[in-house]
Amino acid sequence: MIEVHLDAWIREFGPKGDELVEAASVAQMLDELERRYPRLRYRLRDETGQLRRYVRVFVDGEDVSRGGRTDASLSGARTVDILHSIAGG
Amino acid sequence: MADKKVRVLLGTRKGAYIAESDTKRKTWKVGKVSNSGREVYHVTADPRHPGYLYAAVNDWMFGPMVHISKDWGKTWKEAATPLMPPSKERNPEFGTDSGEVQRPKHALTNLWHLEPGHASEPDTLFLGADPHMLFRSDDLGASWTPVPSINEHSTKKDWAPGAGGPCMHTILVDPTNAQRMYVGLSAAGTFRSDDGGKSWKAVNKGVETPFLPNKYPEVGQCVHHVVLDPAEPRTSYRQDHGGMYVSHDGMESWTRIGKFFDDDFGFAVAAARALPGRAFFIPLEGRSRVTTQGGLQVFEWNDPKKKWRALMSAKAIPGHFGVHREGMNTDTLDPAGIYVGTTTGQLILSPDAGKTWRQVPYQFPSIHSVHVASPAL
Repeated sequence: MIEVHLDAWIREFGPKGDELVEAASVAQMLDELERRYPRLRYRLRDETGQLRRYVRVFVDGEDVSRGGRTDASLSGARTVDILHSIAGG
Repeated sequence: MADKKVRVLLGTRKGAYIAESDTKRKTWKVGKVSNSGREVYHVTADPRHPGYLYAAVNDWMFGPMVHISKDWGKTWKEAATPLMPPSKERNPEFGTDSGEVQRPKHALTNLWHLEPGHASEPDTLFLGADPHMLFRSDDLGASWTPVPSINEHSTKKDWAPGAGGPCMHTILVDPTNAQRMYVGLSAAGTFRSDDGGKSWKAVNKGVETPFLPNKYPEVGQCVHHVVLDPAEPRTSYRQDHGGMYVSHDGMESWTRIGKFFDDDFGFAVAAARALPGRAFFIPLEGRSRVTTQGGLQVFEWNDPKKKWRALMSAKAIPGHFGVHREGMNTDTLDPAGIYVGTTTGQLILSPDAGKTWRQVPYQFPSIHSVHVASPAL
């Protein structure tokens, strides 16, 4: 099981805190989170399946979300952090 | 839930606000922000369902959303998410995501305008979005269906994005004819449907495109905003990138009326129920897109007399700021109230059809849209 740490902003859409997820890829992990919390659908990924521009996914501390990709493997991963990037103004 | 309040709904760069007054429109109370921190491009009220408000919300992190309130903005709830339809051509970047679900190649970016349908269709809403998309809902936002008759119009190859992107920003439903509606897209122009949205005709004849080699093409005009004359909806008033125009034949043809000005560029235009045959325009400098003559100016076009009249001196509210395409609106009272929201966050209004002007004592974020929910009297 992978421990998924969710940015506090994401809790608006249902999750109360961290989640434990079994998944082989970032895409599968997001599928499972969206199954548990349907309001998350289209909030982290858009309708093309790409991560939204300011959503960052780190697997064991490494950013795997560059270019919006969600195909990174979670094989052997212990933690995932889903964060918002520094932006705005 | 009908009451005697005048509510000015503001979409701003950092959320939505409601300023409330009574029919005298002298003192104003500003409520707490909703969707704080999010870009709200448009907020509107539904006259078919008093108390129902709709907001086009664009969150920089979480993307576009439609929010609906059923209690005059006390509480809001997210409606269904409008989505780009799947395309035949898949985005190769995402070939390895979960499953073999057919997906669109591009996502919707921003939601621009929400419009209640005709009174005879009380559960119908229309939504305009970027890129050049019209959606229809027949269940008050519980689901959204793209309207391919305009989204895939035969002239689409000649559409281009405006500076705000390829946006569907103006949606007008003829109150006297449920089958007739109009849309405005940048930079594609205006289109009319006479069959409830089944088919669309480009209606831009006479509107100049100073930014194209062909100055009068069928489509490609950068329309900024259009309103119908409330008393005679075959008459419409248009603020285009290429100037100020009027049409008397359901937008079939347009006549330029803005040559009165050195520069008839602008974004906002409005008309009022109590003032048939009149329209209000705010000229801006075409290059900088801010106020001319050192301050805000609102002009009234008297269509029967074909005359312009300044409703305020540029010295009254001095400054160097803009007014967005949905930045001016009117109420349905008599005398008409005229409301202007600025890019620097002032809400300026006249409660007497332009005789006097005042400013709501509240500094808002940059204002994208102004819509007045008038009391049913």
